[in-house]
Parts: sequence; structure tokens; C-alpha cells
Amino acid sequence: MTSYIIRRLIMMIPILIGISIISFAIMYAAPGKPAIMNLDPEISPEVREAQIERLGLNDPIPVQYVRWLGNVAQGDFGTSYSRKMPVTEMILDRLPNTLLLMASSLFLAAIIAIPFGVISATRQYSLTDYGVTFGSFIGLATPNFWLGIMLIMVFSVQLGWTPVGGVATIGADFSIIDRLKHLLLPALVLATADMAGLTRYTRSSMLEVVNQDYIRTARAKGFRERRVIYKHGLRNGLIPVITMFGLMLPTMIGGSAIVESVFGWPGIGKLFIDATFQRDYPVIMAITMFGALLTVIGNLIADILYAVLDPRIEY
Amino acid sequence: MTKKSLLVLLGMVMALMLVLAACGGSDEPASTDEDPDVEDPAEGEGEDGDGEEAASGEPQQGGSIVLSTSGEPVTFNPLYSQDSASADVIDLVHASLLQTDEELNLIPYVATDLPEISEDGLEYTYTLNEGVLFHDGEELTAEDVKFTHDIFINPDYTGPRAGDFDTLESVEVVDEYTVKFILSEVDASFDTRSGYGILPKHILEDVPVADLEEHMEYNRNAPIGAGPFEFVEYVDGQYIELVAHEEYFEGRPNLDKLTFRVASDSNAELLMFETGDTDYMILPATEYATAETYDHGRISSTLALRYDYIGWNNDRPLFQDPKVRQALTMAIDRQLIVDEIMDGKGEVAHVPASPLSWAYPESAPEFNYDPEGAKELLAEAGWEPGADGVLEKDGERFSFEILSNDGNVVRRDIGVIVQQMLGEIGIEVEARQMEWGAFLDQINPPNYDFDAVVLAWGLATDPDPTAIWHSREIENGLNNISYKNDRVDELSDQNKKIIDQDERAAVIAEIYEEIANDQPYTFLYYPEQHVLLSNRVEGFTHHPRVNMYKVNEWYITE
Repeated sequence: MTSYIIRRLIMMIPILIGISIISFAIMYAAPGKPAIMNLDPEISPEVREAQIERLGLNDPIPVQYVRWLGNVAQGDFGTSYSRKMPVTEMILDRLPNTLLLMASSLFLAAIIAIPFGVISATRQYSLTDYGVTFGSFIGLATPNFWLGIMLIMVFSVQLGWTPVGGVATIGADFSIIDRLKHLLLPALVLATADMAGLTRYTRSSMLEVVNQDYIRTARAKGFRERRVIYKHGLRNGLIPVITMFGLMLPTMIGGSAIVESVFGWPGIGKLFIDATFQRDYPVIMAITMFGALLTVIGNLIADILYAVLDPRIEY
Repeated sequence: MTKKSLLVLLGMVMALMLVLAACGGSDEPASTDEDPDVEDPAEGEGEDGDGEEAASGEPQQGGSIVLSTSGEPVTFNPLYSQDSASADVIDLVHASLLQTDEELNLIPYVATDLPEISEDGLEYTYTLNEGVLFHDGEELTAEDVKFTHDIFINPDYTGPRAGDFDTLESVEVVDEYTVKFILSEVDASFDTRSGYGILPKHILEDVPVADLEEHMEYNRNAPIGAGPFEFVEYVDGQYIELVAHEEYFEGRPNLDKLTFRVASDSNAELLMFETGDTDYMILPATEYATAETYDHGRISSTLALRYDYIGWNNDRPLFQDPKVRQALTMAIDRQLIVDEIMDGKGEVAHVPASPLSWAYPESAPEFNYDPEGAKELLAEAGWEPGADGVLEKDGERFSFEILSNDGNVVRRDIGVIVQQMLGEIGIEVEARQMEWGAFLDQINPPNYDFDAVVLAWGLATDPDPTAIWHSREIENGLNNISYKNDRVDELSDQNKKIIDQDERAAVIAEIYEEIANDQPYTFLYYPEQHVLLSNRVEGFTHHPRVNMYKVNEWYITE
């Protein structure tokens, strides 16, 4: 197992480098250059040239890439073009907010979706099953930003229960209730799409399990249905679902970019969107690589959990 | 394993492409409204001491307000800021030699009076108020003024304003409260550049000029100035907090505390205002009708120091004949655009100057809505209707594309309405919008790849037209429509050498007349700008250029 994990970790390096090359190329292929996006057009061409020269944007792209890679290897993601701050510092500033949001929404998604999936599977073709299926398709089809805006309109503007955005009331002392109020809507919105997918996934995975011989055996032995499903079925049924979690991590980064923008949630997703508009290459690259790293690690964790949950799997 | 890695890789690529694509299609936030402004420095903040009050009732001390801003500030150092979110804070934290009042006249601020200008126009002497204190208690003196301006002319200076001071030769301290600027040549607009916040020498003198731009300790964490409000903290992505400067030389501000809240975009700002989370926002014209329905807020409007226009690429054969450009202007009903798209909130424009400016001419050629006249002019220029009704000349159809930036609803609507109006006289127009970055790429040097473009200019207090209209600005400057007129070049070169304002105004008026006749742009309108503020805020003065004007006079009624 240990050697397997080490092997996987080493494999990550070429994968990440590959991703960085492709991202770098796509980013530079997009129209609009940081030098014209961020500089006051009134400044003289000489000053602008000097700025471009200082940023090294005149060099061929492969040269810029190699320089970037060299710095990253030393842990330096550079300085943001638009905000003049070290990128690492910017990301570390915002990371806790994003992690909080992602963890909350994963938690919400799991505690809502898994029971629904199980119920749906155990009562296949019942009205409940159809209801859950219908609901999860609605959830899948609803765009995040639209749902976010609707929830804000209803709960923040009409009812005044939750704040319009941000992580905490400005100027107020720290309070858990206040933080939760701010967290609730964005976490819920971010959870919706995953919830839907997770419900469907849990349902089909459970359906497969409940038709297995050992479940029939357990039933035949006279165990109570509840025990059969939750003790024997769920454990096996959840194995593929766990993999799902690993794969959900990176999509969450993408989803959180939109949700964070709608709710003014100062996380790295919003930072990413702002950076893209400003063609702030160092920030774009750093966040892309962060997402890539999460994806790779998410996969690894999923595989490890798989092994833990299912002793039959060996490496 | 390999299959999964491939999937991961593909996934990331898709994610990146999605984001890039999303940027193209979504409503662009604040950056959209940052037209390529011809800006001069953000003017200083404060009051001129005559204490006029806009509202009834006695100003009271105390209380705090929350303002919203849709951009993330970059730096609180006035020598380097380029965005309005930064400038708004800088105006409150720093004091400058002069500022402009709401009629755009230069008025004294830290200086006791306007500068004394020597006979030859090469020396500007400022006398400073005594007892102006920085937030740390040190007095602001001539040394600080010299220190600040020496940075601008230091070859190591990396900020954007070197060009503003290329006529400045040296700065001399005459005595503690007197400072003299010595110019290398006459520069009539020099005093309009006295609005940059003065930096404290005692804090920054050891920082090499080359490192100052990235000196975060001062620029972001602890800026100190002599303005009405002291900086407390900036939490990235969330807020900036300021408190009253107790020792402010014009008297302690009424408010105790001021917080700028960072919002994603103007929609979010409006929602926060609606729920009472904020007390002030810059109101986009498109949200006017919504904001009008609020009971707890009111709208203040004033003419903005800017104009909106359609620029015709003079380099394209289609737009080389001035007669054709005049005809295009005549075929566009600008009053209708103001009435329908701007809800009547603006004035039709005829020249590249604002009615607010002292240089606004008394008269200039006007090309009013006259589609019949337009057709005649086009016929004179050789354009005749072809088989399908579209004008033709030498086998060439009069057909082009009008470009604007994504997410800007007003400009999109202008494109569409112009398409229709020009269609009526036989010109085929296609209106198109592009993502901001791609748009800039396409219209700016060296590409100039456009036929016509809908844009706006924010104007500086000084009316010098050189930066946009001089032909030497074609290759690398702001004259991206390649406008060339020798007379305009000649007069532009002259105008900054004339110190007498009336004489200078006459020269500039002639430039405007030439330009109005040539119609390189169709000048659309002068828009109004709006501010939405809570009814609990009084003492507000609406300034056409400065968002945070005389905030020390604002007060709360409750």
C-alpha cells in the first residue's frame, strides 16, 4: 500500500507539469494582454513598454513558461500583475474561506443526498423514488448562479433572514450565528448540483447492492430490513460513492468560482474570476495548479478509501 | 491509472476553457465601466473651509456609514494608483496641495492659495498651511511636498505618472512652508497636477524609489497621510475601514467611522443598499428606475465629466471622407438615443469637451438629425443606392461593423439603434459585442482592427486635447481612429504654452471647431452620473469627478 501511494505521488509530477503546459498555452492564447488591461491608457508608451519589459512579457512563451516553472519549483508563484501582491499570500488569504465553503457544501450534499439515494433505491419505482429522481434532475438542471440569485431575492431581500453576501457582518464582533447565516445560502447552492448527482449515484449503487446474493442471504436469515440495508448494504453501496467525493473536489472549485461571485464570498474562486478578467497570469496559473493538485489528490484519496472500505481490493 | 490521469488532465483543461468561455459570455463586472479614461490625478479630498451645507439641520458628530465599492483596491499610495477603488480611499487618507471644487475650479487645500506663477511661467510657488498634521502627529511641511514630487521625476520611478511631470525640472524648499516648482518649459496645465496626495517623508525616505511601488508595508497595510480620515485596516475581498482624523487641519470630520465594503458588481451593491447594509453607492444609469422606488434612499445626479461617442476608424476607406462622417452623424438621432436609452439623463454632444469645462466653446459646427441631408451628402461623396437598397460606390457596398464591449447594456443598445437608423438611409451595419480584453486588444495599437466603436472618454480637468487628437498619438497613443488634421496638430502643440486662460480657451475652441467639422467621432452625449445614498446621510456634495468629495462634512441624522 505504501509503495503504491509513493508511486502515485511520483506520478503526479508529470501530470501536473502536463496540465501546467496546457493551461499556460491556453491562457496566453486568449486575447487581451495584462499590460493593456491593467494600465491606465493615458500613461506614455515608454512607461508601458518598461512595464511589459519588467514583467518579462516580451519573451517567447516557452521562455516565460520555463521561468515560471523554475520559480514554482522554488515555491514562488510570482506577484500578481493587477494587485501587486505575492500570489501565494493572496491565495493563503482566501483559501480558508473557500475551504470552509467547500467543506460545508460537501457535508450538506452528503447528509442530504445519501439518505435520499438509499430511500430511493429501497423503494424502487415507488412514488418516493420518482419524487427523488425528479427532484435530483431539477437540481442538476438548475444553474448555480440563477439559484443563488433567486435565493438572495427571497431570503435576503424579501424576508431579510440572511445577508446578501460576504462572510461576516462588517464591523460586528465575531459570532458563530452570524458566520453560519452568511455561509448557509452559498453552501446550499454549491451543494445543489452535487447533491443531485450524489443522490442518483447512491441510488444506482445501492440498487446493485440490494440485488446481490449476500443481501438476499441476510434477509433469508431473518435480519430486520433496516439492519440489512444499513449494516450490510450501505457499506458496500457507498464504495463507489466515496470515489464520487474525490472527483467532486475539482468540480467544486469550478462551481465555487461562480457561487463565490454571486455571493461576494471572498474565496479563491472569486479571485480566479477576477484574475481572468484582468489577465492576471500569475494568479490564474497558481489557482489552476491548485485545482489540478486537488484533482490529483482527490483521486488518490478516493483510491485509498476504496481500499480501506473494501478489503478485497489489493495493491 | 493512465486512463484516469488522462481524464483528470482533460477535466482541468475543460475547466479552464469553461472559465475562459464564461468570461466571454457573462456580464462583465466593474472593469467594463473603466473606459480608457483620459484621467488626470484623483483630486485631493477635503473642504475649502466655507462650510456650506447642502441639507437642512445641524451637522452632528458621530456615527458611521458603509459605502460600497465594486472593485478591489490595489494600492493606497497616490503615486501609483490607477483604479477608482484605490483612488476613493486615497482621497480620504491623503491631502494634496490643491483640489477642484464641484465646478471644477482649482481651489487651495494644503496650500493656502493657488500658486504664484513667475513672469516667464517657469516657476510655481506654493505656500502651505501651518499645522497640517499627518495621522501619526508629524507636521506636513515643504520637505514632504518636495519629497513626494522628487519621486515623480526620479528615473527609478515605476508608476504611471512620470509623463505628468516631464516638464518639471526640480523642486526647491524655500522655507518650512514654502515650496517652489521649477519647470523646463511653459506648461499651462501644470497646476492641475497639484492634486496628488502628499507622502510623509519621515516614513518613506529610506525606501528606494525603485522599490516604492511594491512597498506593501505602507501602500497597503499602513498608509499615512494628512487627509480627513485615518486608515485602520483592509481585509482582502471584504472591507476597508477608516476612522476620523482627530487632528485634521480643517476640523475633525463629523463621522467617526467609514467602511468601504467590497462587492462583486453593481447588482450586488444595489442589493446591499436595498437591504440597508450600505449607505452609499455609485448608481449605474441602468439601475436608476429600480433605485427610484426605494423609500430609504435618494438619488443625486449631476453631469459627468465625460462624453460617449462612436469612433469611426479614419484609416478605413469607408470613413476617410469627412462628408461621409458628417452624413453618418446626421443620420443618427442622438436626442432619441438620450431619451430612449439614457432615459433622458444626458445632453447631446457636439464637441470633444464637457459643458462643465471652462474650455467648452460657445459655438461649434453642429450636425443635427437630418436623414435627408445625410443622403444628399452621401450622394455628393459618390454613394448611390444599389440594387438591394444598400449604398454602393465603385462596386463597394457601404457595410461595416460597429463594436462595443460585452456586458455594457447601454452600448449594446446604441449599436442596435444605430444599426437601424443607418439602415434607413441604405447603410448596412452589424452591431457586435466583445469581451473587454479581446475588445481592447482589437481596437488598440498595433491592431486597430475595427470599423467603428462605441466608447466614452472620462475627461481631465485640464482640457488639453493633444493626447487623443494629435496625429503623433496615432502610432502608439490614444488616437486609435487615426485622425489626422495638420491645423489641429499645430494648435495642440501651441495650447499648453499659453498661460492666460482666455487666450488658451480661444485656441482650444478652434481645435474643437476643426474636429467638430471633421466628425472623426460622432459625439453622442454627455451622460449624467448618479449617486444613491441613504436618507440618514446628510451634507453630501456631488462632485463630477471625485466620488468621495468633502466626506468630512457628511453627517448622520437618526
